[in-house]
Amino acid sequence: MRLPNPRLLLAIPAIALIFVFMILPITNMAEMSFRTTGTKDPFGEDYTLAHYLRIFGDTYYWGVLLRSLLTAATVTVLCLLVSYPIAWHMSKAKGMKAVFLYACIASPLMTGVLVRNFGWMIVAALNGPLNETLMALGIIERPLRLLFTQGLVILALVHVFVPFMVLPINNALRNISPTLIEASTAMGATRRDVFRDIILPLSFPGIYPGVILVYVLAVAAFVTPALLGGQMVSYMPTLIIGELTGTFQWPFGSALAIVLSLSTVVVVAIFTALTAKLMERSKA
Amino acid sequence: MSGATSAFSHQGPVNIAFGALIVLLYVFLMAPLVMIVGASFTGGLLIDFPPQGLSLKWYFEFFERRDLVDGLLMSLRIGAITAVVTMTVAMMAALAGQVLSGRLSGWFQLGMTLPLLVPELLTAVGLLFFLYKIELGKTVVGLQMGHILMSFPYAYVSIAAAMRQVPASLEEASASLGATGWQTFRLVILPLVMPGLAMGGIFAFINSFDLYTISLLLKPLGGNTLPLALFDFLTYEFKPTAAAAATLSILLSILGVAIVQKLVGLQRAF
Repeated sequence: MRLPNPRLLLAIPAIALIFVFMILPITNMAEMSFRTTGTKDPFGEDYTLAHYLRIFGDTYYWGVLLRSLLTAATVTVLCLLVSYPIAWHMSKAKGMKAVFLYACIASPLMTGVLVRNFGWMIVAALNGPLNETLMALGIIERPLRLLFTQGLVILALVHVFVPFMVLPINNALRNISPTLIEASTAMGATRRDVFRDIILPLSFPGIYPGVILVYVLAVAAFVTPALLGGQMVSYMPTLIIGELTGTFQWPFGSALAIVLSLSTVVVVAIFTALTAKLMERSKA
Repeated sequence: MSGATSAFSHQGPVNIAFGALIVLLYVFLMAPLVMIVGASFTGGLLIDFPPQGLSLKWYFEFFERRDLVDGLLMSLRIGAITAVVTMTVAMMAALAGQVLSGRLSGWFQLGMTLPLLVPELLTAVGLLFFLYKIELGKTVVGLQMGHILMSFPYAYVSIAAAMRQVPASLEEASASLGATGWQTFRLVILPLVMPGLAMGGIFAFINSFDLYTISLLLKPLGGNTLPLALFDFLTYEFKPTAAAAATLSILLSILGVAIVQKLVGLQRAF
């Protein structure tokens, strides 16, 4: 038998970091969700199913969960619609123009979510630029109250996640050979045929990771609903953080987090099953 | 589409519409950042765009606010430590990852990027409990560990990509000439991966500087990072000082983007 390469030992600090400070804590959280409510500490000594029964028995939590899942789905679809044209345009660019476009995608990506959300507070203010533009165009007569609405939360989340979607789609589009498109055009395919039968399936390996990543991150996004959502509507992440830092209900907060994670996994699995055919076509 | 006989007349309007759409989408992407920078230079008393006259007074105001400046200093310190630690650990991991192949290599990659793929919220909640158990709850050390964990994948991805560009033959040549493993690393590999390593450090620093959720749950007693201080400020005061603070943060990211372009080129980095 060949001995394992001693160089592998260099991975120990990284593996230890991720195992001790991430895998262990998340396992810990799963265990925490079965703990009883504590009286002195944030959690009790015994185990119970009470927190899960409380969540499943209360339509309020069903509603918040559904709102979180649907909001994330809306964000993901809008993100795809915004990102695809950008990625397409980017994949055609060369030289300094490409550098400039990459910078336009990378600068928001490297700016914090809080800062970008704050930007939307300025844009959407009652006498802010968005209202003034809409009024100047005659689309609305009076300024709209946009701040602290679900619509603004969705808009700001789309803005946060567009770069995550643009980059993988752009990479997939760059890998499509132009001769393939030229050949099918020469054989009489219309633009629409080329898009539907060649470009869309071949860019799917970029769409798939983009969609999954954006959905998973959007479901659990906390800052945006906390800053722009106002007090009227709750999302799962704001509820969870409230239970943990406000009322110190650690076991119940954990149960909410576990329910949210499992629902996300189910949605991702359904999406993967539904698009299995497209993925196969992209490999053919 | 009756004019399809002439390619020009067919594509003209479509291309113009597409061009307009692209411009609109880029406006959507850049508008919030532009508004912040604009609002920070206002001479007026309200956060407003376009700004009312020009002045730098909100920058002076920012540097006079103890809570915001303390937050900035704490973010810079934590970011710097995060960059140094993640660069070291990620460099070692990338060296180890090089000797793996096939499926094992894929799993290793996936494992190293886990903190990026699992929502920050879950990691933050788990860490809150875990640090409490090992009695590091509400300490700077605990917060620092959270930042190192969350920023590690950024450093790893950049460094591993740079390592893949180093031909294996160079290492073999160096070894056959009698160099030790350390000498090969220091004299052959390190100079070649230096741009990737630096980029990894920049990404890790900026990611740490921007983290919010994990900092909120792990924040030490009496200490605030800049994003935490800024959130509180926005909730209670909402003055152009916030725009000045946010502009500093935007400048940092633009600086990062420029350095990355210089080091490896944005196209290869993303």
